[in-house]
Amino acid sequence: MDSFLAPNDYKSPLKPIWCPGCGDYGVLQALYRALSAVGRPPHEIAFISGIGCSSRIPGYTTAYGFNSVHGRALPIAQGVKLANPDLLVVVAGGDGDGFSIGGGHVPHAIRRNVDLTYLVMDNQVYGLTKGQLSPTSPRGLKTVTSPMGSLEQPINPLLTVLAYGAGFVAQATPADMPGMTTLIEEALRYPGFSFVNIQSPCVTFGEEEQQLRAHKARMKPLSSLGHDPANQLAALDLARAYGTELYTGVFYRNPDPPPTYDALIRHRQAELQRGEPRPRARVLERYLQT
Amino acid sequence: MGPIAGFDFERMTLRDALDLAVLIEEEARDRYWEFAEQLATHDTPEVADFFSRMARIEERHRGELLERRRTMFGDAPSSVERRMVFDVEAPAYDDARAFMGVRQALETVLAAEVKAYAFFSEAVPRVKDPELKALFQELRDEEVHHQSLVKAELARCPEKADDSEAYADDPNAQ
Repeated sequence: MDSFLAPNDYKSPLKPIWCPGCGDYGVLQALYRALSAVGRPPHEIAFISGIGCSSRIPGYTTAYGFNSVHGRALPIAQGVKLANPDLLVVVAGGDGDGFSIGGGHVPHAIRRNVDLTYLVMDNQVYGLTKGQLSPTSPRGLKTVTSPMGSLEQPINPLLTVLAYGAGFVAQATPADMPGMTTLIEEALRYPGFSFVNIQSPCVTFGEEEQQLRAHKARMKPLSSLGHDPANQLAALDLARAYGTELYTGVFYRNPDPPPTYDALIRHRQAELQRGEPRPRARVLERYLQT
Repeated sequence: MGPIAGFDFERMTLRDALDLAVLIEEEARDRYWEFAEQLATHDTPEVADFFSRMARIEERHRGELLERRRTMFGDAPSSVERRMVFDVEAPAYDDARAFMGVRQALETVLAAEVKAYAFFSEAVPRVKDPELKALFQELRDEEVHHQSLVKAELARCPEKADDSEAYADDPNAQ
């Protein structure tokens, strides 16, 4: 009755231990469905994550997985992709893992344009460690580390990745399961670095206005605004509303995706193999002459 | 996009409709199992047991529909896939809460039954085939029956304020 690979074929026997009501349950379900739509078998997929609630995702799939070091999911994922370009590589993590501890890796993964999909479950708080300020926490948020309210301006993940030149940038919420599934599928299919910011609420430490009921009331699909995803400047303009408006959909999709880093590497390797052989002795001789 | 993605009701056949009904029950069954596991993990065994019972009920419904489908159409392939069905009768993920009470659990089930009723009510006028229409009407009426069962349980359940927050961890610094 199901397609060749049904969503449950990507579901591992390990049971998620997130808090009941957590947004990540919906993300995981959407991910299973998106993978089923793409149709790649689990042994052709690798999930890489750092540390955090959402970074547990690799364990909940039947694909290869590496729950790695805090903030280091992107460099590890790039290594995995370069070592085995045939793998579909998906990176999953939270806003703290991605934009604080691992923030320095984001621009480099984007500028290299390694063909991977980065799913950030943005809950605006460090949930796993019981509710401290995260890089996307709104100004004024009261937490255990900001009892009188945060004084810091939050990072805008959408604007950040767009500014660094990501070829595919989208935002989703588990409040719209079909929409989120479609966006994840599109990101998986995009040839190059793709990014989906998923507003996945923390049910225990998150603010009331960040919960899914509030998302349902205030989310605005970009398609309903007549946004053209090929228009990068319009995408940048809309992304500025992060934190005030909840836009869902594709902000930007490069209509003419440039070659990926992994494709360029393969091309370079092929070029070198075609060229004149360079015996070690000749290389050494040339070195001594200079 | 509604709770059924990429499916054309205008072209739906009776076989498709039965397959869809089976998958709707399957999704609800799986969601209740997930809820049961979540609540068992979070020290709420009585509600975990309740959701396990709900999962078994949905499995029974699924089995009955599957039997009908096989009797009528054998193992002919389906054009409906599980990934197309989104929370038709399955409760939403954010309806679960750690330490939720039995009353909240019943309210969650009632909301899911109301949602399924709304889906079938909307589907009835969209299909033309009389057999298909009759099937959707039957499924819609079953949801009314299920709602009445849950409402009866709710009436027996004592009114109690949501005390889930009383058990929640205090957000202490680590």
